[in-house]
Amino acid sequence: MANQGSLIALILLSCLVAICYGTVSFSSLQRTLIVTGSPQTGQVLKGGVDKITVTWSYNTSFPAGTDSSYKKVKIMLCYAPISQEERAWRKTEDHLNKDKTCQHKILTTPYKPSNNTLTWTVEKDIPTATYFIRAYVLDSHDKELTYGQTTNTEKTANLFDVLAVSGRHLSLDIASVCFSAFSVVSLFVFFFLEKRKAKSQTK
Amino acid sequence: MEITGNAEESHQNKFALGVDSEHKATEFKLFSFAAPHMRAFHLSWISFFACFVSTFAAPPLLPIIRDDLDLTATDIGNAGIAAVSGAVFARIAMGTACDLFGPRLASATLTLLTAPAVYFTSISNSAVSFLLVRFFTGFSLATFVSTQFWMSSLFSGRVVGTANGVAGGWGNLGGGATQLIMPLVFDLIKHIGANRFTAWRIAFFIPGLFQTLSAFGIFFLGQDLPDGNYSQLHKSGDKHKDNFARVFHHAVGNYRGWILALTYGYCFGVELTIDNIIAQYFYDRFNVNLNTAGIIAASFGLANIFSRPGGGILSDVVGKKFGMRGRLWTLWIVQTLGGVFCILLGKVGSLSVSIAVMLIFSVFVQAACGLTFGVIPFVSSRSLGIVSGMTGAGGNVGAVLTQVIFFRGSKYSTETGITLMGVMIICCTSVIMLIYFPQWGGMFCGPSSKGTTEEDYYMSEWTSAEKEKGFHRATLKFSENSRTERGIKKVESAPTPTPDRTPNTYV
Repeated sequence: MANQGSLIALILLSCLVAICYGTVSFSSLQRTLIVTGSPQTGQVLKGGVDKITVTWSYNTSFPAGTDSSYKKVKIMLCYAPISQEERAWRKTEDHLNKDKTCQHKILTTPYKPSNNTLTWTVEKDIPTATYFIRAYVLDSHDKELTYGQTTNTEKTANLFDVLAVSGRHLSLDIASVCFSAFSVVSLFVFFFLEKRKAKSQTK
Repeated sequence: MEITGNAEESHQNKFALGVDSEHKATEFKLFSFAAPHMRAFHLSWISFFACFVSTFAAPPLLPIIRDDLDLTATDIGNAGIAAVSGAVFARIAMGTACDLFGPRLASATLTLLTAPAVYFTSISNSAVSFLLVRFFTGFSLATFVSTQFWMSSLFSGRVVGTANGVAGGWGNLGGGATQLIMPLVFDLIKHIGANRFTAWRIAFFIPGLFQTLSAFGIFFLGQDLPDGNYSQLHKSGDKHKDNFARVFHHAVGNYRGWILALTYGYCFGVELTIDNIIAQYFYDRFNVNLNTAGIIAASFGLANIFSRPGGGILSDVVGKKFGMRGRLWTLWIVQTLGGVFCILLGKVGSLSVSIAVMLIFSVFVQAACGLTFGVIPFVSSRSLGIVSGMTGAGGNVGAVLTQVIFFRGSKYSTETGITLMGVMIICCTSVIMLIYFPQWGGMFCGPSSKGTTEEDYYMSEWTSAEKEKGFHRATLKFSENSRTERGIKKVESAPTPTPDRTPNTYV
């Protein structure tokens, strides 16, 4: 009984510790990375076809040695405010474990202070929306330390659009029409059969 | 009056179940598929299940659909309201169609005509087209009326509550099952190699095909009445083709139908509302992930497997001992308790207690639906279809009203909306106290001291001219059989009808 009690207490304690440890707030992060992306403001990229080139480097105006604990860089495609309007599933929250601004991972790579570049083809299932690019710097525990992004703090500059590949195919369109027509036609066949049966039974 | 004795044995041998003078089954054998009674039962609940699966196929896939079609929260809310509003008029139309053409043709027709809406969901590409397909698919929920009508036509008063409750409950199950089926089908199709924006589209062919096939089953294997189909019986003269205006007049003129339509809006309507909002509620308030929220949402609908049938069975058990008065009291008690647990659901703040309260709430609310349809078959004999349709439509109106008042925009938080919905349930359920049958009584009054009989009540729906032509014969048999609603002690002591009595018109 005492063992069970202490086990539960231990689990609860570790959960609380994990919560404390895991909850990083975005407002506490400094912007120490300079990130640039190839898309021009307002450019429309086609899903599955067009490419994005991202370059990032450490902002050397910060004191030397700040980047000693930087281990990895995680580059994400993030929703611009206009695409978050009336869509609570893309809401920006300060606590990063609840934040839904950045939902599409482009790449995670080891950290280097400069000469970083990446070319990425926009995937087919990226939804139609307006985006910017953000790079989080992670430490050895995968906790966010700092970040950099292609847009300004208000997220109004350098935004670009993605036009998604429609999931529709001609074969689907044809199948829909055929199955629908089949349903309606069989109904008329039923009426005809029913009338015929009623007549024959009363003869 | 049951068939007993050697003279009637030839009738008895014709049917696999025991039957009464109208050849309605007096017993309910769940695992039998014998024609016409049990076979019709299985065909009708399966097709109603298919329609529920189609109508609520979109909610579990919304996280993908909303990205593909670029939907906003308002678009999603409107589509959800559209899905349940289409059935309001469809259910009344279905009631009429059942009265005039029989439930077999009526339900096969509706199921086949709404299947295209399900297929066209695969090719929708905007918020407007998505709303339209959900709207037209929602019409298929009118098959509820044909299910209840069919069961009321094939099963006698002793078991009609059970038959209606199981058929309705197992059909409603579709709303829960779909939250598990559609994500599974979607995953399977993605596995085969489709992109997720294509996979969800292909997934909709499954409910569409299920619907189409169930309609075929009903047409080829079903039968409207124990003695045949409407079209045969119309032609042979055994059943006369009724006059729509008269049928309609007796349905809308009967205040009991309107009261039950209102109260059904606060058990079934509440059930539909919860189907639409509960996954998001758990996701947002308790921060569970989408899959977990879906499972919780599914469990609400899946409780229907026993809770609605339980309501129907309870209605029959209480009806046997205490008659119609017992049925009314039980309905009022169970539905009011549903309201109490609804108020509680909005108030609790912990996840596990919330799930527990939700499950208890679901049992009471769904049992109330079953109990309602233990009373409906007795409201009118001639206009059973339209009365069933009105009640069913009332359910959907309740869903639309509740979602518009409490769950749209940001006026109330979801938990406040749920609590207020509970208060509304309790208030609206109290009108059951106003229902009064002169031959049996109501919640607070006994039967009329004038000695009104079942014949008086049901025969008032036919004019003397119609009676001369013999159109009322089926109603006469029904009136006799409905004497069971007097309860056990009173069957022997109540007045029996005399042929030369002039019946009064009863409102």
